[in-house]
Amino acid sequence: MINHHPSDFSLARLAGGTLGAGPRLVVATHLSGCPQCRRRLTSFEAAGGVMLDEAEPARLSAEAFQRALGRLGDADPRAEPQPRVLHPDLPPPLNAYEIGPWRQVGRGFQWRRLRLPESPGANVIMLRVAAGQPVPHHGHSGAEYTQVLSGSYSDALGRFGAGDCIELDEEVRHQPVVDPDGECVCLTALEGKLRLSGWIGRLIQPLIGI
Amino acid sequence: MSAPAPSADDMKQWLKAVAAEQDRAAFGRLFQYFAPRIASLMERSGLSAAEAEEISQETMVAVWRKAALYDPAQAGVSTWVFTIARNMRIDLARKASRASAGVAALGELPMRLEASVEDMALANERDARVRRAMATLSPEQATVLRLSFFAEKPHAEIARELSLPLGTVKSRTRLAMAKIRAILEREP
Repeated sequence: MINHHPSDFSLARLAGGTLGAGPRLVVATHLSGCPQCRRRLTSFEAAGGVMLDEAEPARLSAEAFQRALGRLGDADPRAEPQPRVLHPDLPPPLNAYEIGPWRQVGRGFQWRRLRLPESPGANVIMLRVAAGQPVPHHGHSGAEYTQVLSGSYSDALGRFGAGDCIELDEEVRHQPVVDPDGECVCLTALEGKLRLSGWIGRLIQPLIGI
Repeated sequence: MSAPAPSADDMKQWLKAVAAEQDRAAFGRLFQYFAPRIASLMERSGLSAAEAEEISQETMVAVWRKAALYDPAQAGVSTWVFTIARNMRIDLARKASRASAGVAALGELPMRLEASVEDMALANERDARVRRAMATLSPEQATVLRLSFFAEKPHAEIARELSLPLGTVKSRTRLAMAKIRAILEREP
């Protein structure tokens, strides 16, 4: 049962193409398991179609059409192979990404970093936190997008379980605690930097390096 | 001088002719309608005129190649072309960062090959509904939607265009988006 969904604002930015690569992957992973949000996205994409219809036509160069005709026979530079599934245990499109090895940071707390070929600088990580374990109290210099892949956690904002997508503003500081009935695995993208507090945070920050 | 706007059915026929017979005349009609509009949207999203024209070229070449994948049950032709142009725009940003893979996280609209008549009616109906809904947005809502689609830093630009303090722009955006979605998804 999914209780938390991406915001309308994020879906509009996804539809328009302005959502950053990291948040785009988190929201797309949510969409793969949420027909309701796929429908919402479709409405926004249809709005994009209307904006296209209503756009004031730009002046193209005189030879634009001839140039396009000349390119019709070109080999398709975008003939990309179907994305390979690298991680059958994870949902698409996350399962097609290269993910680094799990790294232990303190007891019951592991993380691994994702490589986004479309945006090498993007801060996207998977976190695996043991049952009952708190995540260091932290804030962010930009928005945080999290998709819960398995398990659940709670913080001052509520309880979040598998399939939920949580968007947090940079103003929000929070301390998630994993629920006692099992470990929790999340996919998290940060638009800015993480701001950890407390001694454990200061210990972990340089290790994670984001 | 300007031709009358083609109907949704015209566009579907042209696309079908491109898919079935590699009909260059039909492609020409699609190009004449879409290429200048794609370039216009791309300029609006901050690209130079030359980059915008390049995206419109790449999009139209992709329309030619992918015509057989278009599924009228899923979306109108304009919506389909919009999603291709959007992905080309994302790809351009990727090329600028000199990375190697394609847009993996967001495909074109997922396409099915066989459309049932019922499905097609549904897609047509949704397009018509969204079109009507767009016409009822307030100027503020229309601005929020447009900048969410096209601005790299939408909050800052929404604040500027609507003369709002940055402190209130997020809550106003949230409010406007909630109304926009309610309007887009309202039953007829």
